[in-house]
Amino acid sequence: MQVTLNQLSKHFGPVKAVDALSLEIAEGEFMALLGPSGCGKTTTLLTVAGFYKPTSGEVRFDGRVVNELPPRKRNIGMVFQSYALYPHMDAFANIEFPLKLQKVPKAQRVQRIRELAELLQISELLDRKPGQLSGGQQQRVALARALAKRPGLLLLDEPLSNLDAKLRISMRAELKSLQKELGITTVFVTHDQVEAMTMADRIAVLNQGKLQQVGGTNELYYSPQNLFVAGFIGTPPMNMFEALLEVREEGAWLKSEFLEVRLPGRISPPQAGPVVVGIRPEDLTVTQGEGVPAEVYVAEPMGRDTLLTLRVGKAVFKAFAPPDFLPEPGTEVNLGFRWEKLHLFDRETGRRLQYGN
Amino acid sequence: MKERWDRVLCYALLAIIAAPFLTMYVGFFLRAFGERMYLGILPKEFGFSNFRFLWEPIAWGLEQTTVWAALGNTLAFAITSGLVVTCICMLAGYALSRIEFRGKNFFLVLQLFLHAVPGQVLLIAVFFLLFYVKLLHKVPGVALARASLEIPLGIWMAKGFFDGIPWDVERSAMVDGCTRFQVWYRIFLPLVKPGIAAVFIWGFLFAWHDFIYAYTLLPGRVKLLSTLIQSLVATEVIDYGYLAALSLLYMLPPLLLFVFLQRALLRVPVFGGKGV
Repeated sequence: MQVTLNQLSKHFGPVKAVDALSLEIAEGEFMALLGPSGCGKTTTLLTVAGFYKPTSGEVRFDGRVVNELPPRKRNIGMVFQSYALYPHMDAFANIEFPLKLQKVPKAQRVQRIRELAELLQISELLDRKPGQLSGGQQQRVALARALAKRPGLLLLDEPLSNLDAKLRISMRAELKSLQKELGITTVFVTHDQVEAMTMADRIAVLNQGKLQQVGGTNELYYSPQNLFVAGFIGTPPMNMFEALLEVREEGAWLKSEFLEVRLPGRISPPQAGPVVVGIRPEDLTVTQGEGVPAEVYVAEPMGRDTLLTLRVGKAVFKAFAPPDFLPEPGTEVNLGFRWEKLHLFDRETGRRLQYGN
Repeated sequence: MKERWDRVLCYALLAIIAAPFLTMYVGFFLRAFGERMYLGILPKEFGFSNFRFLWEPIAWGLEQTTVWAALGNTLAFAITSGLVVTCICMLAGYALSRIEFRGKNFFLVLQLFLHAVPGQVLLIAVFFLLFYVKLLHKVPGVALARASLEIPLGIWMAKGFFDGIPWDVERSAMVDGCTRFQVWYRIFLPLVKPGIAAVFIWGFLFAWHDFIYAYTLLPGRVKLLSTLIQSLVATEVIDYGYLAALSLLYMLPPLLLFVFLQRALLRVPVFGGKGV
């Protein structure tokens, strides 16, 4: 199923939970809605499911406006964060429930449940009540129930949040391969960027009800379109500092309280004024040679490398260093910038400035 | 040591509070099973002669009735009332717990207010109402009127049970293909079984205990246990043993209900608390 959100808004009184959201989700696509809590991602999902009526705008399934269609008529499957299995029914009855409501004959129901149980490896659990299942097992049953009536669209509301860390990682891969295997259009809500980045084909980043950027993981990571996306995507987050952009004869210059440098790349269209400069920790190098003088604040060994928190004047930077480099706090080091990897944002609008060669 | 004294003190206080009730109950049982009384309170021997109403007709004015007829009437009265309260409260409780509509909070507050109105105040109005709809002097009609008194608080009780069911369960059911009514019937009702029991008992018990409605609106041929006992008190010579035995029978069904359903009743949410 192809899903189109057209200028979708949902207001609760004065609160604009979702604000003029437009989004195209292609047939078979795995789309993640990512954002901090309260950003409107769950509201968006519940509106797509039909629990909320849009204040304005449209939800289209395969081109057809479904604003007024109740959830039961939308041909969707949904898995909730709490799994929401029916506690009084065993796993079999849970998966059977949507089929029963569709009046599928008994033999076909049993056949379908067998298939799903095999697919999700829950054949041995079918006679258990939800209370006797672990979180991971409950989730599989919930997934089987959601898939039972072969929905055109699968909605997942933070399905991995209640699992322990290890299971979450294995379920991540499993969900992704399952989604590809079934080729079912899927919308996935999460506040965990790693989940979104690893699983989704595309990610829609939301903040305060507004769509910030849609794109693949690398697109969001390497060319965030505004300050919010730049700050939200990536762990540890991007380093940011304020600077002034000056256009001189020989090119663009960046001036801040601790550096003054000619940028190797071009800014198009050429622009001067206050900017926010972003640089990812991995694009900084800690050197003994040339660079911006910095002072080590904390060094956190992480095995593969050492994460340094550095002070440059009033600004704080995070940077990676080789694992054997474990300086004492207060050590003076120099910070090298990969100037071609800078991200520049207009300080006023927060928008990205095109910068490159 | 201190803890022990605390406990002793605790039990002593409880014993003092319980003493009058226990004394009454003990006296009540002694009377019911005592044959000939000494000093009016101590039985000389025990037996079942006070329970002779079980096999003998009971004199009632110039006519006769049997305890079984009264018991049957009372059961019909209380069960009807319980069922009416259950049906209405389960529907209203769901709506008030789950559906947004104009005036919902007003309605909820109104229920509390209505609960505070004593039933006797409404007797005359109910009398005329039943008279005009031709249900006066009939068990179903009066049971309906009696039920209406317990519905306000019953709605709050039912709402509390429904409030305890997570929204996600309801949403799941709706995605799975349920209409609102199917959600209520197929998912919610099985989940609030303790609530159904509690609300039914609520409606049943108050009708079972009722006297004033039965006395006023069910005169003539329809005798309930409560009005039967009252009529025995109103005779010139009161046989206290007989009365105690009859009262024991009157007490038995509610007692049994409590014993069997106490687990459900313990989960009754008190205003906004969570059931299930």
